[in-house]
Amino acid sequence: MRSPLPDGMSLAAEASGPRRRRHLTWGRVARGSVPYGLILPVLLIVGAILAYPLYSLVRLAFQRYGLSELIAHKGISVGTKNFSSILHDQVFWHVLLRTVVFTIANVGLTMVLGTLVALLLVRLSTWVRVVLTSGLILVWSVPVVVAVQVWYWMTNYQNGVLNFTLTKLGLGDFFHHDWYGTTFSQLGIVTAMIVWGALPFVVVTVYAALSQVPRELVEAAEIDGAGSVRVFRDVTVPILTPVLLILTSLSIIWDFGVFTQPYLLIGQAHTGPSNELMGTYLFEEGYLKTDFGRGAAISLVMLVVVAILSVFYVRKMVRMGDAA
Amino acid sequence: MSGRTRRLVWNGVGLLLFVVLVFPVYWMISTAFKPEDQVNSLTPTWLSLRPTISHFRDAMHAPFFWNDLVNTVIIVGVTVVIAMTLAFLASVAVAKYRFTGRKLFIVLIIGIQMIPGAGLIIPLYVVLARYHQVNVLSGVIIVYITAVLPFSIWTLRGFILGIPKDLEEAAMVDGSTRLGAFVRILLPLVAPGLVATSVFAFITTWNEYIFARILLNDQSKQTLTVWLSYFLGTSRHTDWGALMAGSTLTAIPAVVFFLLVQRKIAFGLTAGAVRG
Amino acid sequence: MRTRVFVAVVAAAALGVVAATASASGQSHQANKLTVWLQVDAQSGWPDAVAAANAQFAKDHPGYTVDVQYQNWGDHLQKFDATLAGGTTPDVIEMGNTEMTKYMAAGAFSDLTSLKSTFDNSGNWLKGLAASGAFGGHLYGVPYYAGSRVVTYRTDVFAKAGIKKLPTSLGQFTSDVAKLAAKNKSVKGFSPVYFAGTDWYFAMAFVYDYGGSIARTQGGKWYGNLDSPQSVAGLTAWKNFFNAASKASKTSDENHPAPYDVYSQGGAGAIIGPGWFSCCVGTKYKATTAQFVMPSHTPGQAMPGFLGGSDLAVPQGGNTALGADWIKDFTSTAGEKILQSKGNIPNATSLLGTSVNERAAARSWFVPAAKHWVDVENGNILRNMLATILQGKLTVKQAAANASSNIALVLNGA
Repeated sequence: MRSPLPDGMSLAAEASGPRRRRHLTWGRVARGSVPYGLILPVLLIVGAILAYPLYSLVRLAFQRYGLSELIAHKGISVGTKNFSSILHDQVFWHVLLRTVVFTIANVGLTMVLGTLVALLLVRLSTWVRVVLTSGLILVWSVPVVVAVQVWYWMTNYQNGVLNFTLTKLGLGDFFHHDWYGTTFSQLGIVTAMIVWGALPFVVVTVYAALSQVPRELVEAAEIDGAGSVRVFRDVTVPILTPVLLILTSLSIIWDFGVFTQPYLLIGQAHTGPSNELMGTYLFEEGYLKTDFGRGAAISLVMLVVVAILSVFYVRKMVRMGDAA
Repeated sequence: MSGRTRRLVWNGVGLLLFVVLVFPVYWMISTAFKPEDQVNSLTPTWLSLRPTISHFRDAMHAPFFWNDLVNTVIIVGVTVVIAMTLAFLASVAVAKYRFTGRKLFIVLIIGIQMIPGAGLIIPLYVVLARYHQVNVLSGVIIVYITAVLPFSIWTLRGFILGIPKDLEEAAMVDGSTRLGAFVRILLPLVAPGLVATSVFAFITTWNEYIFARILLNDQSKQTLTVWLSYFLGTSRHTDWGALMAGSTLTAIPAVVFFLLVQRKIAFGLTAGAVRG
Repeated sequence: MRTRVFVAVVAAAALGVVAATASASGQSHQANKLTVWLQVDAQSGWPDAVAAANAQFAKDHPGYTVDVQYQNWGDHLQKFDATLAGGTTPDVIEMGNTEMTKYMAAGAFSDLTSLKSTFDNSGNWLKGLAASGAFGGHLYGVPYYAGSRVVTYRTDVFAKAGIKKLPTSLGQFTSDVAKLAAKNKSVKGFSPVYFAGTDWYFAMAFVYDYGGSIARTQGGKWYGNLDSPQSVAGLTAWKNFFNAASKASKTSDENHPAPYDVYSQGGAGAIIGPGWFSCCVGTKYKATTAQFVMPSHTPGQAMPGFLGGSDLAVPQGGNTALGADWIKDFTSTAGEKILQSKGNIPNATSLLGTSVNERAAARSWFVPAAKHWVDVENGNILRNMLATILQGKLTVKQAAANASSNIALVLNGA
């Protein structure tokens, strides 16, 4: 069956053009079902894997579910007690505030530095670009579990190479400097490590988007007499915007819930109310204390908070699709 | 400043950045080659003059290295291929079609990302145990697909939306069916996006630890990151040299993968790209 | 047409994936397989003991195979929790002795009381270790092995500092520390005796040595006891000893960095830790390394050391009879002898030898046998108290009082 679509019709025009009333034909039904067919496999897999866990997460949040209940496979309903105990916990509010600040700092640093490096890449000689990109890929390919060990080792108190180098550079006496001595310093190292680990991904994605910028458009703009700032603003930025929005919202989501880096770098032996982030707080309260009901409630609270934090970007992204 | 000096300055900045960023990786690799007494020395050894490959030998002879390498390749390969195919189709749907429930789907996809992964560990384990998917590779694969799909759909959607409309129109060929046209025209245009996304999917799954750790029990069925954790999991002596050698070995395939795909599809590394 | 075919193919493929994964065979309990979770220490340290137990088990149960799955200390409890939830528990699991009580209280293990007599040496089990595997008068955990803490020191450094006789009291040791410090002034960051600022195992040894304790129980209720005069005296002695002897970070723990790594680089005259530390002192100092038992403040006595160790248990849902049988093979006299030869303390007094490690075990202390003890440990209450004391944020008395009330809260399940 050939499509009854008129020849040469623009895709975008078809997508958002005025809807004309037409006869319902088999061809139209088939075409109407195309997008559903396209998303069906995704829905099936996600549904099969996540539907039950999500349901049980919500159910757990309203139950007392400790180790005994876990073994008996049966929780005890407690209404909203898990939530009220969290919301009345001073520690929770401190952790939440700390995590929000931490997220803003991490996302801000990641996005600004990432975009700058991507813009730098296009200004480099080819060989330097290859060198720098390979370096980024190297960084990216180190598993987090490994990177944590290397970072811990470089910053350790006894013979960390960071203390050695800073001392050698004449920046002061860093012999036996304890980078894990204060909360600020602990989270500072964690931030450095997260930004370091996230940069390659952001740079590569933004750079890929930059390479989508058609040469002809840039040249056309230049012929029109546009300066480089204007070319950047009028040609590059619109093409980068979708990718930047996505990266920003994903970074917010990831950094808000980050667990591996702070937990392993600071170490279980030092994780506590004074330095917890939401991810480690969830782990300590839910898993280490085997209070799974409370853990589920914390998960749901986190879901709400991160939804609020990212709603601005998410709405923009959804709208962006409509305008296209 | 002339163009040449400006380029020189940028190159300098680029190289400095390279040194700073790569240092931890360098430290990992150089440590892997250091003899035992230099590994932990109070004064750091920048580059050993007595390099040794004994740590690499130890790591490769550690139980199940080859086994777990094969497992990881299978898990990651299957995950990337399936996830990329499904994500591309779904992203075409959300970027180029208007249909009832489209917005809901988009929000659902990003909503999935917002659920704290740590909160799902036990419920997910229960589901997979019910399907008999614990301690088998397919269980991990399906979890990984679920994990990388949302991101991939979002990114690909962004890349598709980023394609300038006039290019798309100009490329439209008479008489194509819509989907056929999409695939034929969009695919080359979003190629850089597909590469970036698949690199992401590859590295995310290659490096994943927590779910692989929870879901796979037999050492013959585990992945390389889990294999690495055995260097640290004992209450006893940690063999730093072997750990760093093992880490280096673990990272190599990811680098190779990247080099392969960036060659296959012109990623723009050497293409000169654009002056932004 | 092509579109529809394409969509149909993709949908079918996706369904195929779901169907295939749903029908593939999984773990669960297979008829002729016994699943055992041991810590990775066994794999690297005494695989021969494991192999011997497996061989014995196979001989007694023809057709059965034993699948030993090695675990890490860092996450084995979370993995265990997941299997409890999913109904895929192993048949035998190794548990750290401080981890046992919570799981016994929750009913995670099968009752092995009636089988006790079938285990070798069960009449002579180390008291401290056996206590960690018992709850409410029932046996759930079979003692596997133990380890004590000793002083590992450099004979050459001690000799150079003019120390001719090993210290037999804390006072004597402290004056030796002063000699070591004076003699090694030129070595930057040198610790006469290196131990981490928040090594609570060592700090609590002082508390118990001075007659104090972490917590006490009365009428079914727990009370923090770190603020008792004896405990405060112990903590004060510990603080003074740290300030005199160790240049470790005040916030560091006993694993970061590993004390033997400091030692092997010449950064310490002695280190405190498990007896097996002698393994890793570095080739340079191998010949000049020896060990002694940490002396008490009471001359001639040993300071009570923390008795670490492991138990073996059969989780609910595991095969109790076969699981217990494998434990019997693994903890047999022959098996324990192998463990002993690798520097561990065997599980029974009748097997004890005369190594420093084993002598140190003669006077030991153990954590309160409270259901919620592990939460005190995971909550880092003791570590935080120690760091606060060393950093001078609070006096010993204040810090101990805070920790004491926190401990009481946690132990009483609040």
